[in-house]
Amino acid sequence: MPAARTPGILHVGLDLGTSRTSIAASNGQRETVLSYVGYPKDVVSRKLLGRDVLFGQEAADKRLALDFYRPLGAGVIRSEGAGAEGNARAARDLIAEAVRRARPQAGELVYAVIGAPAQASLKNKEAIMQAARTCVDSVMLCSEPFAVAYGLDMLDDVLVIDIGAGTTDLCRMRGTMPEESDQITNTFAGDWVDERLSEEIRKLAPQAQFTREMVKSLKEKHSNVSANAPAAIVELPVAGKPQPFDLTDAIRTACRGVVPPIVDGLAQLIATFDPEFQPRLKQRVLLAGGGSQIKGLDLAIEAEMRQRLGEGRVVRVEEPLYAGAAGALKLAEEMPDEFWEKLK
Amino acid sequence: MTPFQDTRSRDQGHGLFSPRETEQLMRVEFERAGRHGLPLVCLLIGIDRLGTLQDLYGRETREEVLGASLAALRRVTREHDLLLALQEDRIVALFPHSQPELGALLARKLLEAAREMRFEREGRSLRISFSIGVAHNRHRDAISFDTLLSVAEEGLAVADAAGGDRFVETELYQLIEQQRRAREQQALRAGSAPGTPAAAVAPSAPAAPEARAPGLGDTLLDVLSAMGVRVDDPGRLDKQSLTQLLFRLQDARAPKEHGDLAEERRKNDILERRISKLVAQLGVTESELQRIALLKNVDLGIASIYREPQGLGAESHVQRKREMMKEIFTANFQMKRDIEARGGQEP
Repeated sequence: MPAARTPGILHVGLDLGTSRTSIAASNGQRETVLSYVGYPKDVVSRKLLGRDVLFGQEAADKRLALDFYRPLGAGVIRSEGAGAEGNARAARDLIAEAVRRARPQAGELVYAVIGAPAQASLKNKEAIMQAARTCVDSVMLCSEPFAVAYGLDMLDDVLVIDIGAGTTDLCRMRGTMPEESDQITNTFAGDWVDERLSEEIRKLAPQAQFTREMVKSLKEKHSNVSANAPAAIVELPVAGKPQPFDLTDAIRTACRGVVPPIVDGLAQLIATFDPEFQPRLKQRVLLAGGGSQIKGLDLAIEAEMRQRLGEGRVVRVEEPLYAGAAGALKLAEEMPDEFWEKLK
Repeated sequence: MTPFQDTRSRDQGHGLFSPRETEQLMRVEFERAGRHGLPLVCLLIGIDRLGTLQDLYGRETREEVLGASLAALRRVTREHDLLLALQEDRIVALFPHSQPELGALLARKLLEAAREMRFEREGRSLRISFSIGVAHNRHRDAISFDTLLSVAEEGLAVADAAGGDRFVETELYQLIEQQRRAREQQALRAGSAPGTPAAAVAPSAPAAPEARAPGLGDTLLDVLSAMGVRVDDPGRLDKQSLTQLLFRLQDARAPKEHGDLAEERRKNDILERRISKLVAQLGVTESELQRIALLKNVDLGIASIYREPQGLGAESHVQRKREMMKEIFTANFQMKRDIEARGGQEP
C-alpha cells in the first residue's frame, strides 16, 4: 500500500458535513470549518467586510450583512427549490476553502476523497463531485461510515454509527465494500435534536426567546443522556431580560430521541446478517461523527441494544470530528495512482 | 648463535647474575612459560652511539649511561618479574607473564625514559636514545628461546639501522625458526657439535646413524623437532616418531574439537536466550493488547491490528483493501463518465 507521500501530490480526505466540514491532508494539515458560507449583500457590506466571501463562524457572526448559505442539508448539497444555484456555488466555495486550508503548495496536484452520506442519491453524489472538481484535480466519493471504518482499519464485522448534523448513517462492514443493503441513513441527527430541543424549550418556557443557533450552541455545551447528568441552567432572554432556565431534562429528552431510531437501524442490519456472526457484530459497534460527543450516548445505545437485542457493546471513536476525514485521507493515500489519473 | 657466549663478567657491578646464569634462567623461564602456556615478552635494548660516547668521554660515561639505562628499565617494569642480562652494549630483558601488547608498551616507556635522561660532561648536556627489538612467545613459531632472541635481535638491528630512538617487532619467527631448525638438522647429521643449541636441547644425543633412510625420516625429524620432541634414537626414528606424531596430533586435535563444541554450545545458548527473550516480549505484547482491548471495550479490532505486525493475515487484508478501492474507483469512474456524457447536465 503506497501510504508514503507522493511528491507533487497532496492527498486530502474531506468530510463534507451539514454542520461542519473537516479536512485532513497528507501534509499533516487538519482543519474544521463550520459549513456556512456568506456573500456580502451589497456594495456597502462588501466594502465593510473587505471580502467577497466569508466562511464558518465568521460568516455566521456576520450573517445579517450576508447572503447566508448553509449549502448542505442532510449531508448533501441542497439542490432543490429556491436558492439551489446559490447553494451549489456556496458548496463549491466551501470545498475550495477547505482545500485552501489544507495549504497545497503551488503547482501541487490535489487528489481528494470526499465522504458522502451512506444513502445519498446519485444526483446528490454527482452534485458533490461536480462541486469538488472545480477546485481539486481528481476526486472520489465514498460512504462516510465506510471512511470511518477504513480509517480505523476495522473492515470486518463492524457496525458504524455516524451521527452528523443532517443524517445519521449506519453501515455494516463485512470485509467488502458495503452495498445498499448494508447501509441505512435516517435524519435523526444533530438538526433533529435541535428541533426537538426547541420544542421542549418552547413547552418549558414559552416566553423565552431563542434562535436555532442558540439552541445548537447550548446543545453542544450541555448535551447529555445520562440520568445523573449535571444540571444545565441556561439563561434565555424573556422580553429582553435574561432569565435562567433549567434545561437538563429537556436536553436529555431531546438527545435521547436519537437512540431508538439508531437501535432500530442496528437491529435491522444485525437481523439481516449471517446469524453465526450476529453476536460478534453486536460487540463491534463504532460510534462516530459530531453527535457521538453527546455524553453517555454510547452507554445509552448499549443499554437499548441489551434491552432489544440481548447484548451490545459500543465504542466511541477517539476523534469524532476527524474520524471521517482521516479515513478518507487514508483511502486517498492508499488508492493507486493510476486510478487517480483516470479520474482527472 | 648464542648471544651470551661472549659475555664477560663486566656486568658484575650492576648487581646482575652472570651472563651464563642469566641465560640459563631465561631458558628455564622460557621453557616454563611454554609448558604452562604462559605469555612472555623479550626486549633487546641497544643504547644508540654508546661506543662513540665512550670514545669521547671515557669509560666512566659509558658505565654511567648503562647504569642509568638499567635503572630506567627497572622503573618502568615490575622488577620482580624482570630478568636482565647485559650483552656488550645491549640489555636483554625478559618479562614473564606478559602479553605481547605489553612489549610495545614497555618499549615506548623506555624510549620516553631515555629521551628524558641527561648526562653532564665537560659543560655539555648529553642525551641518549634506545633502539629496541621486541619479541614474544605467542607466535606459533616462537618455540625456542634462541628464536625469540633472534627475532628481538632482528628488531634491534632494524631499529638501529633506521636511526635509533625507536622499537621494532619484526615477526620473523617463522623464518628464523626455519633457519634454526636447518642448523640443528645440519648439526645432527654432522654429529652434533658441542655448544650448539641442539646440544643444549639434547646434550646426550648420540650421533645420527649412517643407515637412516632419507625422505620420510628427514621430514618427520623436521616436524618432531619443530614440535620440540626429543629423538633419542634416530635409528628407531620411524616407529618412535610415528607413535609420537600420532599422540601429538591427537593432543593437538582434541582441544580444537573441544573448542568447536564449546563454540557451538555458546551459539546455541545465545539463540535459546534470544528465543526465550522474544517469547517473553510476545507475552508482554499480548497482555498489553488485552489490557488495551479491555480499556477500549473492544477486542477483535485490536486483534486485527495485532495480526498485522505479527505478519499474520496481512496479505489477505491488503488484497481485500485493493478490491475495495477498485470498487470505489469503478463506481466513481462510472459516475464521472455519466456526468461527461450528459455534458454536466443533471440526470
